[in-house]
Amino acid sequence: MADAPLLSLDALSVTYATGRGPLAALQDVSLAIPKGGAMGLVGESGSGKSSVVLAILGLLGEGARVTAAAARFDGHDLFAEAPALRGRRIGVVFQDPSAALNPALTVGSQVAEPLVLHRGMSQEDAAARAVSLLSEVGLPRAEAVARAYPHQLSGGMKQRAVIAGALACEPDLLLLDEPTTALDVTVEAQILDLLEGLRKSRGLSLLLVSHNLGIVDRLCDDLTVLYAGRVVEQGPAEALLGVPSHPYTRGLLGALPRADRGRIGRLVPIPGGLPDLTQPDPGCNFRARCAFAEPACAAPQVLAPVRSGADASRLARCHKAGENLIWPVPDEAVRRHRGEGDILLAAEGLSRSFALGGLLGRLSFRNGIPRLAPQAEVRAVDGVTLSVRAGEVLGLVGESGCGKTTLGRLVLRLIASDSGTLRFAGELVPDKPGAAFRRRAQIVFQNPDSSLNPRKTVAEIIRRPVTLFGIARGAEADAEVDRLLELVRLSPAYRGRYPHQLSGGEKQRIGIARALASRPDFLVCDEAVSALDVSVQAAVLNLLDDLRDRLGVAYLFISHDIGVIAHVADRIAVMYRGKVVEEGPARAVLAPPYHPYTEALLSAVPLVGSSGRAAARIRLAGDVSSAAGAGGCPFAHRCPRRIGPVCDTVVPPVLEPKKGHRIACHLPLETLAAVPPALGWA
Amino acid sequence: MSGAVAVRRRAIPGALVWGGIIVGAIALLAVLGPWIVPYDPDAFSVRNRLQPPSGTFWFGTDEFGRDVFSRVLAGAHYSLAMGFGATALSLAFGIPLGLIAAFDRGWLSEAIMRAVDVLISVPPILLGLLVLAVTEPALWKTVVAVGLVYVPIMTRIVRAVGLGLLAEDFVQAARARGESAAWILAVDILPNAWPPIIVETALRITFAILLGSALSFLGLGAQPPASEWGLMIAESRPFIEQAPWIGLAPGLCLCILLIAVNLLGEGLRELLDPRLRGRG
Repeated sequence: MADAPLLSLDALSVTYATGRGPLAALQDVSLAIPKGGAMGLVGESGSGKSSVVLAILGLLGEGARVTAAAARFDGHDLFAEAPALRGRRIGVVFQDPSAALNPALTVGSQVAEPLVLHRGMSQEDAAARAVSLLSEVGLPRAEAVARAYPHQLSGGMKQRAVIAGALACEPDLLLLDEPTTALDVTVEAQILDLLEGLRKSRGLSLLLVSHNLGIVDRLCDDLTVLYAGRVVEQGPAEALLGVPSHPYTRGLLGALPRADRGRIGRLVPIPGGLPDLTQPDPGCNFRARCAFAEPACAAPQVLAPVRSGADASRLARCHKAGENLIWPVPDEAVRRHRGEGDILLAAEGLSRSFALGGLLGRLSFRNGIPRLAPQAEVRAVDGVTLSVRAGEVLGLVGESGCGKTTLGRLVLRLIASDSGTLRFAGELVPDKPGAAFRRRAQIVFQNPDSSLNPRKTVAEIIRRPVTLFGIARGAEADAEVDRLLELVRLSPAYRGRYPHQLSGGEKQRIGIARALASRPDFLVCDEAVSALDVSVQAAVLNLLDDLRDRLGVAYLFISHDIGVIAHVADRIAVMYRGKVVEEGPARAVLAPPYHPYTEALLSAVPLVGSSGRAAARIRLAGDVSSAAGAGGCPFAHRCPRRIGPVCDTVVPPVLEPKKGHRIACHLPLETLAAVPPALGWA
Repeated sequence: MSGAVAVRRRAIPGALVWGGIIVGAIALLAVLGPWIVPYDPDAFSVRNRLQPPSGTFWFGTDEFGRDVFSRVLAGAHYSLAMGFGATALSLAFGIPLGLIAAFDRGWLSEAIMRAVDVLISVPPILLGLLVLAVTEPALWKTVVAVGLVYVPIMTRIVRAVGLGLLAEDFVQAARARGESAAWILAVDILPNAWPPIIVETALRITFAILLGSALSFLGLGAQPPASEWGLMIAESRPFIEQAPWIGLAPGLCLCILLIAVNLLGEGLRELLDPRLRGRG
């Protein structure tokens, strides 16, 4: 690249003033983005990714001290001219499109606003331009969208509108801070396609900040890996993700459950957490967590070419980067059950609807006579039949709003079902089950912050189910608490702590310990690892794997992350709009024949190291909330393989390509079997 | 508490210290009042009518020559009884009603909340008047009236806080264990609901003192010659230009008490919320 880069940061440092002294959020971060280039910035939460974005925009505020040897944007001094550059030549898209749009203004006026503000366009011209921008980002009926208010659009449409606003002033550089994290995977795929297209058609440069290695790999040429405020590795994306050099990057890739690999024993758990940034370590700041640390690591490390002379574009901040470092992976325990036991939980035709609006909302007047309109309802779960065997893991996937969480609560009888039956160990479970069922069926939640009572100590939280179900009392119960803590790999020192004194991963372990305290046979894991960083997620997934293997606990594992499901599940059920559209052994569901929805879902998954997959991609239009007809296939309105009216009106037959693998679709099995594998394995 | 990691207690918040000192001092003066007043608060003295503040009469004297300082001291207990008594009453009814309304999603909740809506739609002073107007005025009746006026407000706040907490996953975990409604409300909900309830309580105490004084001002609370601060302000009205100190002294005392109670509430909330304590 002979040209001067569009954006270059040299030794950018950011320090925040905190109550405990200055916090070094970024230390000597250097990166350069060529014109038309795309740089990915990856790292776990707290690594300083967002600080880079805010520093480029000059939006860090009073409490932050920003220094840099040089920061240039297309020949301009970035810091001196940041207010003039942002919004005009540097556009930005943040994570949550709902928060980025003002609910009180129309979408069109918000896209047009920068044109009026920065370009001095008239209201009418700006409004007309806004419509053409909205259609450029792939929004159908752009005039109508421009007149709509944000709440009338779906999440994906809102993010498109935000991107249109960021593009309004024809910027050269687009900063994307986790642009798809709040979106469903099929919608994420649409947005990534859009960004890829815009980059080509407009010659845009991108800085993509993400924790998701898959989407960074898809969109970016170069990668910068950030750890606790320092760049630990930098280089071309393909080479870096193919053969990472820094131990942290290696660990991160090993910790990632990958949909295209399926079950691969245990993941690499990176122990520990982020270092204290108020006391930056002059040596390698990853060495406390690194499996290859040695005394020499205490010396300051420099970002240097991985192999001297060989490839100057690959840099790593580790003196051992040239060596072949392989993270140790814990051994798999011997599995007590292999999911071949008796049927433990069997749900048949479970349904649950939720009423929309209250009594007063239904009250209307006709000719002065008050009448009650019929109750509007959403069928969250619609006649679902499924079963889980003892010691088996049933993975439940689907996008937000498909009813997976409701189904998880239904099988625990936490909410009552409208119809259908539930059997546990052969016995019918009534609407208000007794203590025996409660003891044997427990739940682990998604959000570690909300799953523990903040006013109770760890010991109190775990002890309650132990004494409640009469498993032990007195000193025995205390011993049981210690045993449970040990089971989730926490020391007894945690007994007296309150939840706010724990990290996210630790809280999640306490949640698991509490669920295991009653010695259940069945656990519902509702997005149990979704709120965790990859390195912590790997440790918790390994733990859940171990518990299943050693204790023979069966899971209903609910997740939107196909990689996680592919890693843990023995069988997989795919849900769409309250119905299970496909169900079967994990290997069978992840390979053709697929239900068309499964196919779209799997091909939308951003995979690491498979950029060549583009040709086989299936894209869905719209999203789950799009209007649908009643009676037929729940997926008919979005289905790329729709046959005709039969899909809308007739309930699809259940095909069974293999024993136990069921697909509900009108298409003949031969057609479904002929599609190319979406994940690369047949 | 067992376990190796002891929870370090955080320093007591400054707001709590100052609020506590002032409220404590006022409470002490209210209790000791009858013994430490320099003059009989109700004794007339024609010679010393409308004297401005001086070394002899610290806060001056009123139109009957009564010592304002003595009267303010003797009246402190009315305001304290009004504020704390009425608020305690509103908590005693409001918390259980609010918790039930939050937990029960059926007709009981609906009935409680619609009754609350009706009561809230009536201006508090009118509601207080309604309770008081039918019987002979007396201080304890004012306390009851003010307390009842604030029950619906307390109920609504407790229910709102409770609804938020009931949606938390730790409550779902309790349901998954089959815990009883009473256990969930007492162990999972109420302890976590205290911080907002305490802030509201401090606010309610101040409003109760004000409303009690207002009712006395209107002649429906404490009766002359009682030296209730609201009543004193009411009685000082004709002399506001000649002798502003008669109304100013109880007014300022009322003001200081209200600020101190608010500080106390803010400090208590900070102290009670474990999430505001430092990480261990």
